[in-house]
This record gives sequence, structure tokens and C-alpha cells, in this order.
Amino acid sequence: MSDVLAEPGSLDERGDPATAALAVDGLELAYEVRGIPRAVLRGVSFQVRPGEAFGLVGESGCGKSTTAYAALRYLPENAVVQAGRVLAQGDDILQMSKSALRKFRIEQASMVYQDPVQALNPTSRIGHQVAECFTVLGESKSEAQASALAALRRVKIAAPESVMDRYPHQLSGGMLQRVVIAMALASDPQLLVLDEPTTGLDATVEAEVLDLVRDLREETGAAILLIAHNLGVIRSMCDRVGVMYAGRIIEEGSAQDVFDNPQHPYTMGLLNAIPRQGLRKTDRALFTIPGNLPGIGSDLPTCVYVDRCPIADDLCRTEVPPKVSVGTDRWTRCHHVERLSEIVEPEAVVTEYEIASDNVIELDGVSKTFRQRGHEVPALVSVDLGFHEGETLGLVGESGSGKSTLAKTLLGVHAPDEGGSVNLRGRPMQGKAGDRIQESIRAISMVFQNPDSALNRSWTVRRILRRTVTKLTSIRGEEADERVESLAEAMRLSQRHLDMRPKQLSGGLKQRVAIARAFAGDPDVVVCDEPTSALDVSVQAAILNLLANLQNDERTSYLFITHDIGVVRYLADRIAVMYLGRIMEIGATDVMFSEVNHPYTEALLSAVPSVDGEAENRIPLTGEIPSPANPPSGCVFHTRCHRAIAGLCEVTEPEMVELSPGHRIKCHLTVEQLSEPIEISPADVLAEIADLPD
Amino acid sequence: MTAIDDTPESNDPVPAPDAAPDVDSREAAAAGRKAARHETLRLLMKRPAFIGGVLIVMIWVVCALFTNLIAPYNPLDYRTGLNMSPSWSHPFGTDKGGRDVLSRVIAGARDVLKIAPIAAMLGVLGGVILGLLMGYLRGAFDTVASRVVEAFLSLPVVLLALLAITTLGNSNWVVIGVVATLFTPVVARTVRSAVLAERELDYVTSARLRGESSLFVMYREILPNISGPIIVELTVRIGYAVFTVATLSFLGAGPPPPSPDWGAQVSDNYNSIVAGYWWSTFFPAAAIASLVIAVNLIADSIERVVKS
Amino acid sequence: MVITLWMLATIVFLLVNVLPGDVGRKVLGPTARAEDVARLNETLGTDRPLLQQYFTSIKNLVTLNFGDSYQSGTPVSDLVFPALGRSAKLALLAFVITIPISIAAGIFAARREGKVSDRVVVNAGLASSSIPEFVTASVLLAVFAVQLGWGKVYANVPDGTSFFGQLDYLLLPALAMVFSYFGYIARMSRSGVIASLQSDYARTATMKGLTSGQVMRRHVLRNAMAPTITVISVQVGYLFGGIIGVEKVFNYAGLGSTMLNAVGKKDIPVLQTSVLIVGVIYMVSTLLADLLIALLNPRIRLDAD
Repeated sequence: MSDVLAEPGSLDERGDPATAALAVDGLELAYEVRGIPRAVLRGVSFQVRPGEAFGLVGESGCGKSTTAYAALRYLPENAVVQAGRVLAQGDDILQMSKSALRKFRIEQASMVYQDPVQALNPTSRIGHQVAECFTVLGESKSEAQASALAALRRVKIAAPESVMDRYPHQLSGGMLQRVVIAMALASDPQLLVLDEPTTGLDATVEAEVLDLVRDLREETGAAILLIAHNLGVIRSMCDRVGVMYAGRIIEEGSAQDVFDNPQHPYTMGLLNAIPRQGLRKTDRALFTIPGNLPGIGSDLPTCVYVDRCPIADDLCRTEVPPKVSVGTDRWTRCHHVERLSEIVEPEAVVTEYEIASDNVIELDGVSKTFRQRGHEVPALVSVDLGFHEGETLGLVGESGSGKSTLAKTLLGVHAPDEGGSVNLRGRPMQGKAGDRIQESIRAISMVFQNPDSALNRSWTVRRILRRTVTKLTSIRGEEADERVESLAEAMRLSQRHLDMRPKQLSGGLKQRVAIARAFAGDPDVVVCDEPTSALDVSVQAAILNLLANLQNDERTSYLFITHDIGVVRYLADRIAVMYLGRIMEIGATDVMFSEVNHPYTEALLSAVPSVDGEAENRIPLTGEIPSPANPPSGCVFHTRCHRAIAGLCEVTEPEMVELSPGHRIKCHLTVEQLSEPIEISPADVLAEIADLPD
Repeated sequence: MTAIDDTPESNDPVPAPDAAPDVDSREAAAAGRKAARHETLRLLMKRPAFIGGVLIVMIWVVCALFTNLIAPYNPLDYRTGLNMSPSWSHPFGTDKGGRDVLSRVIAGARDVLKIAPIAAMLGVLGGVILGLLMGYLRGAFDTVASRVVEAFLSLPVVLLALLAITTLGNSNWVVIGVVATLFTPVVARTVRSAVLAERELDYVTSARLRGESSLFVMYREILPNISGPIIVELTVRIGYAVFTVATLSFLGAGPPPPSPDWGAQVSDNYNSIVAGYWWSTFFPAAAIASLVIAVNLIADSIERVVKS
Repeated sequence: MVITLWMLATIVFLLVNVLPGDVGRKVLGPTARAEDVARLNETLGTDRPLLQQYFTSIKNLVTLNFGDSYQSGTPVSDLVFPALGRSAKLALLAFVITIPISIAAGIFAARREGKVSDRVVVNAGLASSSIPEFVTASVLLAVFAVQLGWGKVYANVPDGTSFFGQLDYLLLPALAMVFSYFGYIARMSRSGVIASLQSDYARTATMKGLTSGQVMRRHVLRNAMAPTITVISVQVGYLFGGIIGVEKVFNYAGLGSTMLNAVGKKDIPVLQTSVLIVGVIYMVSTLLADLLIALLNPRIRLDAD
């Protein structure tokens, strides 16, 4: 049953704060903007015990990054600590002298950053930068050089001497992150803080970096504070998790408990907004959380979640919810824990409907080669692909896979090479959009990844939509105005929104405008290029629901490009997997996840960290993604494939083979061979330098 | 039972400031734009640099417009003694031709304020057009035009202007034309970089995919988004124009004597400094300095407000 | 670059030759006899069609034949190159003074961003670079040379003066130029350092436990200097616009004065050559700047393969 716990001082039930690797106690922090303090952290308290991995999870603006940087006292000039302490091994970091702080940063705590490319000095060699971590410990120059070399080996870099000599721009993101980790571990710190360490890395690379951190943590026994918005990453890495919202931790417990059985309306909302456990759109719509994430400095005197909570009542508006124990070593901040079961699943979006069997769009032997600085870069190689009317085709792939190029060729930004064609209802279209007839232009539209870039910031929403309508169709005048208004309504945009400019709208609203624009001409196919990657989870769910609904109503086909396996599994009817410009596998979604897969798909699927904690048989991939300018011979995947057959795979490029009706792969292996399990230990895999993809 | 439904996020951080709730939202939008301009002006007015700059410019504008009313003496007339030091009757003294320096300084504002702003505006107009074409169309046109621009930029404006004016004559319109022509490549380069950056954004791709013509994209899609840098450039160019015109008239390429143009005054009288007659040079020189500094203060303030 | 040079020569030729009236008349004056004017035109070649003159002019340039002065008949190279040397001395002095002071001021201001000292530096730079060089020169002349007796009114250095003696002549005109360039260079240095201080790699360096001085020296400065170097190279090019005014005020017989005289006398060979030299100097300085930047920034260096 629930026991109300005492407030600060409740820090103690996890152990003596003085012995914690990190103990944040009642931290209240604000940023001063033009003289007005805007609250960012509203009384954050938690402990990271020695050797423990603690995760802080939340959406943008919740304060998790600020907390991480506060742990090392790296705060901007205008940050004001209004209350609280940050203890590391008993000493309050916030009160330390500058030299003590430096000593702390050198010896006791280190950080790994979100963007490793930017985090390293572009004009200084890697070796020099890593060695600096050792000279700061007092080593001599030559000692530091040797230590640097050893450090790089420790993070499983295959040829450390070569890496030492290079500059950051010559190495990939994954390799650079290893370097940053090496630097962080130089002093064998007691506390390692990681701020979104794998955001922006490809899935396979991300998995390897996380593996590395896990291994090193075992080796060194360091305590870890991990900041992430990806729940799967937190689950796979952390023992304990704190969920943050609007500058407060609203739930804390072991990662397993919190994610399997959330005890706060927000955590529940978050978990239900993510498509997981194989959820499909035909099962149900995604949970959405109405309202907006509160901005920094919002006035939230009582329960921070009250404006968006489905079970909020007057009590929630008048009193700050206390910490309520909901299990061993678990607590939540809610007045109404017992009413959590009232929160209900939404209805399914899509009932079974017939997807037509004819292709509305066909790519026939489409290749696209770019010339870059004298090299030829084959971005697409002989792609054959068809879209049925009303279906969602998911396109998955990592950097250099060619998925963006495919989308652009479909749209007509690029013309395909000689010999290939893009056909609309059986008839070939002109390569470039400028040459196409009106009908073809209208038939295919796009939703871009970044709504800030995709909408003209000087135009009002109304103008953006109206221009699209009048340009793509023959509708004019009053009828055009009416169409604009009905589009807005379909996207749940209010009339007020129509007269605003993009910068006055939130990310989710902007993306709705972008979708409205994509539908303005009544297209047959909408290409969605990572439409939700830049959005928070709760907003993403609403957009995915919207897209599913629209498809239901308009029977539009989608080419849905994403790197998020959960999302593609949810939304797509069929999935195609690309690698270095070639389609490696394609099939119906259910089939893709039940039958055997192409080795690349297999590795990709195993790389995704799951929020459900399924024990994955991780298949690590050696090396890095080759540059499209320099593709390997034979099957382009053979350099990283654990199932490669010597003498065959590096010599001949495989044909597309049908494993079962509609399920095709580009592989030499048979179903039997693909079904055999693989024995590979991630510890054996070293990271090698490859030429960078352009 | 409570159900979660798919309502989108509520609203926007910045509501239209001047709109009453029951007013048609299009009027609200127009009111919003007006309010945005007021907002910019309000932010500018907070800056002492801006206010100072505007004040000084206003003083000179008044001098230029109302010379005959303000100037105590006829600027072209010999009065009493040559090179008389400043006194109550001649606060700035007299120059080597016996003319009252104060009156000449007041009158000198006229030519500069006529020539410089027009030259700057024409130069910016030309530069914007050229920069848009170069940055958006790229290809052969851009390559060739860039070479030409580079050639022009490798010589100081003053030098080229000097050459041109000496050959073409020094009427006001020649000066305006020459300065405007020499400013065009400079402005074009700035505009071109701004256009190059905008061009990469997805709304441009979206417009092209709609089938919009190049003219439409340049003028209606891109141009509104680079108006900030253009305005800054305009004010900076006005400052340069004053600077250049003053230097040209100092070097002898300005309006012919006995015109009270400031640069010419310095040119006429600097030799007298050795003899100890500093005022006939100092005051016109200070006038030049004050105007250029004032314009640059305004330009700097606008740049800071636009950037934020 | 060759193309740009060629365009430059063409522009100069056009500018100089769109002359109403003929050269011979301009040189000899309105009272000279017609036959003399005609003979001069023939000698100079200015009676031939324009296109032919253009080709001749280009050919001469390529063979480094700069011709003779219309005015005095002496070879242009004898006039122009020594003058160039004198201007160069002045310019060098100006830059030797400006560059360290401006860069240091920029760094100083950047470290104190937003504070009063920062605003002072920025506004001082803004003000001083707004003032035309000849204005500063006149004021310096009046205040220091005449009233206070420091420095010289006529800056031409007599042969054989000692190094420090030369400074006495050259310091005031050089200072006039320093005033103009300080502003640009200081502001560019400041913004480069600010951007660098706000970068992620500066953050990494701080988190490593380095002192702020170490962060500045080892990580920030190297990355901050590229735009400043570019600005300096541009200033070198524009130098010759400003130096004309300064040379006139101080009666210094540098390239600026030479050009001014040539303009007045329509001495085309001298003019053409001088202007071309200015253009070449600008191009060389931008080239050097690019090289220097590539040296500092390995990304540019290594990508050039």
C-alpha cells in the first residue's frame, strides 16, 4: 500500500548521501533571462550509489541535461542555483573552490557528450587530445602518449596508432565517441556522466557503443549517470531510473519495475505513446498526451503534470503531490496512485481493409550515381520497388543506405540514371520534377524531417496551404479558401493557427502544417522522411495516429522512411531494408518479424535496445559502414556479415530471392543456413576505421 | 472512465498581441505584423547607441534642409579676415578664403546627405538582384559573375571611384552612379551567401517540387527571409557611402570649389594646419567623423536587434 | 586567379580610356599647337583604335613592359616601384602596430563578453573605423605634429636616416591607418573567440580540468583566428584606398601620391600600372591568408587531395 514519505531527507533511505557516488539533494535551479529567473529544476533529489547505473529519462525541456551538467558544475553564466546541494563523495560540488572543482573534474568525474564530432577540437590530433587527459594527471609527455595509446585500445579501437595521428573530421561518429569515452575513463573516475551518448549514431553503431560502456563499467566499477530520451537505451543500460517532467523527478525505481509497471500517469502516457512489444496500427491507436510540454520557467506551483493528466482533480491543483512509496525502493509523486487503472486504451485506428494489388508507383531498375570530386558515388543501385494503393511501405536503413536518395528520386529532385524509370500507374514519369506534367507533380508529395526548415518562416500557414492548393490543382478563389480550412480541420489545426507564422507554433503543430501541405493536392503517394524524428515521444504518437487516420480516409500510399524499428513495425504494412543503395530485404511486416531475415536485417533488429527488456542475442557487426563511394565487391554486406560464405559472398552479388510469397531477400544463403544461430561474443569485435560515408 | 483522445497540443507561446478575441483572425495577423515592427522599433529605442546615432543624423538632416535659416553667414562669401580663430562672431573661425567655417560646415551637410543615401540604396538594389541571381541560379552564371565580382573587390572602392570620376566628371549623379556601381558587387557577395544558405532549406525544395518558377522562388520564397541581413547591409552601406564621398571630395573628385563640401574643405585647408590654423580643417573633419560614426552606430544597433 | 587579374586589367583599361577628348591634348594643355598634339598622340599610340590599344596594353602587361610616363617620359617602373616601396614601409609599420593590439583587444573583449569593458572595446572600434583615414591624419597632424611638435609634418624620410629616426617621420601617418583598421580586426577577433569559447570542444577542454588559460591557449585561439586572418588580408588590400588620403595630408611620396598625381595629369601608364599593382597585392594577400588558414585548420588542408 502507499506510504507517504518525508521530503528532503528522503534522500537517506537509499543510503548515506556522503558515501554516494553522486547525491543531488533538493536542487532548484533557474536560468535568468533578461533579469527574470525561469525555473528549470524544481527540487531534484536522487542518489547514484557507487557502481550503480542510474538513468534520467524525459522529453525535451524536462531538465535532465541540466541535471547532468550540474553534476559537474558546468552551468551557463545565467544559471542560478536557488537551493540544494550536489554531493560527490560527501563534498558539495556547488560550494567548491575553482581549484577543487578542477581536481574533481580531473580525478573523480568525467563526461561523455551527445555530439562527439563537435566535442573534439577540429584542429588538434586525436592523440594529442587524449594524451592531454593524462598530462593533466601529472604524467610526462611520453608517458601520456603511451597511456593514450593504451586508452584507445581499451575502447576496442583496432588500430590505435593510426587513430592517434588523425584529426576528428577523418573519423566517424562512432569512432569519435569511443575516443571521448577513452578520454573520460583516463583517470578511472568514480562517476561517469553520459549525456545522450548515442543520439545521432546509427543503430548498429549505437549498440556497439552501449556494449562498450557496459563492459567498461563492469571492468572499472564506476557509477554511471545516463541521460537519454530513448527509453530502450535506459532500460538496456541502467539499474535504476528516474523519470523527469518539468524539472522534477516524478517517478523513480528500478528500470525493470518502472518500465514494466509504471506508477505515474506521465510514465504510463510515455510508455503507451511508444509503439512497442510488436504493436501494429491494426491493434490500437497510440496513446497521446494532450497539451504541450511546459516551457522553461512555466508557473507550475502544484503537481507539474496537472494540465495534461487524465485523472487530475482539484487536489492536484492545490497541493504538490508527496512522494508515495509504491514498492521496495520505488516511489512516485502522485495523489491518486490507486486510480491509475482508470486510464484507458484508445480505439484501434485501422480495421482490415483491402490494399489494392496494383502498383500505384513503381521504381524500375532505378539507379542514381553522383559525381563528387571526381569520384563516382553510386547512391542507388538497381532498385526495383512497387507501392500498392493505400499501403504504407516502411523504408529502413542506416547512413549511406540511400533511403533519402530514393525518396528524392521518387519525388523528382534527382533524375534516375539512364535505364531506370519511375512509373506512375504504369506510365514512366520524367526524371526531374520540373519536367513532369502537373498530374504527376500533384500525385507525389513529401513531409520533411525538420519542420523548421520545411516551412517558409516568412509565410503564414494559410498562405503556405493556399499556394500549394492553387499551384497543384485547378481550385481557385473561395473554393481554395474552403479547401485550406478543411485541410486545417482535418489536421486538428484551429482557425487561429492559420494566420500564424511557423515560429509561433510548436514542433508538433508545425509538422501538422507540413502534413496538411502534403495532402493539399490530394496526392496518391506521400513520402514521409523521418517525420517524427525531431519530435518528442508524446507528440510523435499524435502525428503517427494522424497519418494512420488520413491514410484510412484518403487511401493514400506512404513511403515511410525511419530509423526507428518500433515505429516502422507499428505503421508499415510492408518493410524494405536498404544497405549501401540496394534493397536487401522486403516483405510484409508480420512476415519480416516472424520468418528468418537477411543477415543485415538480423543484426539491425538485434541492435535496437528495447524498452521491454527482451533478452536480445546481440549480433555485433565488425567494422563500420563502408563508404558508398567505395562499395565492397560481390555482396556489399559481406565485409560485416557473420554468415558470409567465403569464396561466394565476396565474389558475386546475390540476386533477389523469394523466401515466401511477397518476402524477398538479396542473399546467397538458404533458409536453413539463415536459421542457424550465431555465436559471437561482442567482446571480440574491434572497431576499425573505414572511409567515411560522404 | 477517462479516455485519451487524439487532440493535438494546445497552443502557441506567442499570441497575436493586438488582436481582440472576436476580431477576424486575418486582421489579427495583420495586427500581428504591425506589432512585430513596433516591437523591433521598441527594442531599438532601448539602445543608447541607436538613439545617439539617430540624434546626430537628425541634426545634420536639419542642417541640410534648413541651411539658409540656420547658417549665420553665406558659406560662399568672403567676410572679414582670413584664417581668423574662433570667436563669438565666428564660433568655428574663418578659413583661408575668409569664409565662416560654421556656415560652411552647416551647408556641407547638403551634398553628402543627398548623394550617400541614394548611392547606397541603388547599390543595395543592384547587389540584391545580382546576389539573388548568383546564389540561386548558380551554374555558369554564378562562376562568371563571381570572377567579375572578385575582380571588382580586389580594388579599393575609393581608388576605382577616383579613376571613374576623373574620367567621367564629378557631377552629383556621376558620383552616385559610380559609388552605386562599386557597391553592387560588395552587396552581391553578402546577399549571395545568405541565399546559398536559404537554398539548402527544405521549403525551397518543396517550392521547386511544386513547380514554382525560379523567379517566384527567388522573389517570394527566399527574399523575405533574407530581409534582415539586407537591411543591415543597407545601413552599413550608407555609412560607407558617406565615408567614400567625403574621401573622394578630399582627393579632388568631389563637387568643385567653392562648394562647402566637407571633404573639399579639409582638402583646401589642411595645409594651413602647419601655420597653426587648425579650425578650418578640424571642424569639417569632425563633421565627417560624426556623421559616419552616427550612421554606423545605427547600423550596428539594427544588426544586433535583427540577429536576436 | 589569372582570369581575375585579366578582368582587373580590362576594368582598369576601360575606366581609364573612356575619356572624352584626347590624351595628347590633356598632356600638352589647351594652348599647344595642333601638330604637336597630333605628333604626341602618334608617339604614344593614342590615336589608334581602342581595341588595338587594348591588346597592346595587355601584351605589354604580360611582358612586364610598363611603358613610360606621359608626363615625364621616365619609365613607369622607375616611378612606381620606389613609390610602392615607400608605401609598403608605411603600411608595414601600420600593420605591425595594429595586428597585435587589435587581436589582443578582441580576445580581451571576448573574455568579458557583455560586460562594460567589452562594450567599450566594441564601440571604440566601431567609432575609430568609421572615421576616414584622412580625417584622422589631419587631426593627428594638427594635434601632434603642429601643436605638440612630435613627429613630422612632411613625412618623407631623407636617405640615410637611422631606423629610429625613420620612426619619427612615419609614426604619425602609420597611426592614422592604425585607427582605421583596429576596429575591424578587433571585432572579428572578438567574435571568433566568442564563438570558439561557446563551442563544444571548449566545453570538453574545461571538463577535462584545464584552467581557463589553458583552454584559451591550447584549444580556443587556434580555432578562432581564421576569420580574423581573412579580415586582415582584406584590409591589406583596401589599404591603398585609405593610404592615398594619409599620404596627401602628410605629403608622403608613396604610391598613393603617385596615383593622385597621375590622375590629375591623366598619366595613363602610371595609373594603370599603379592600380594593377594594388590589385595584385590584394590577390597575393588573400592567397597568403588562405594558405595560413589551411595551415591552421587541417580539415581544409587534408581535404585538398
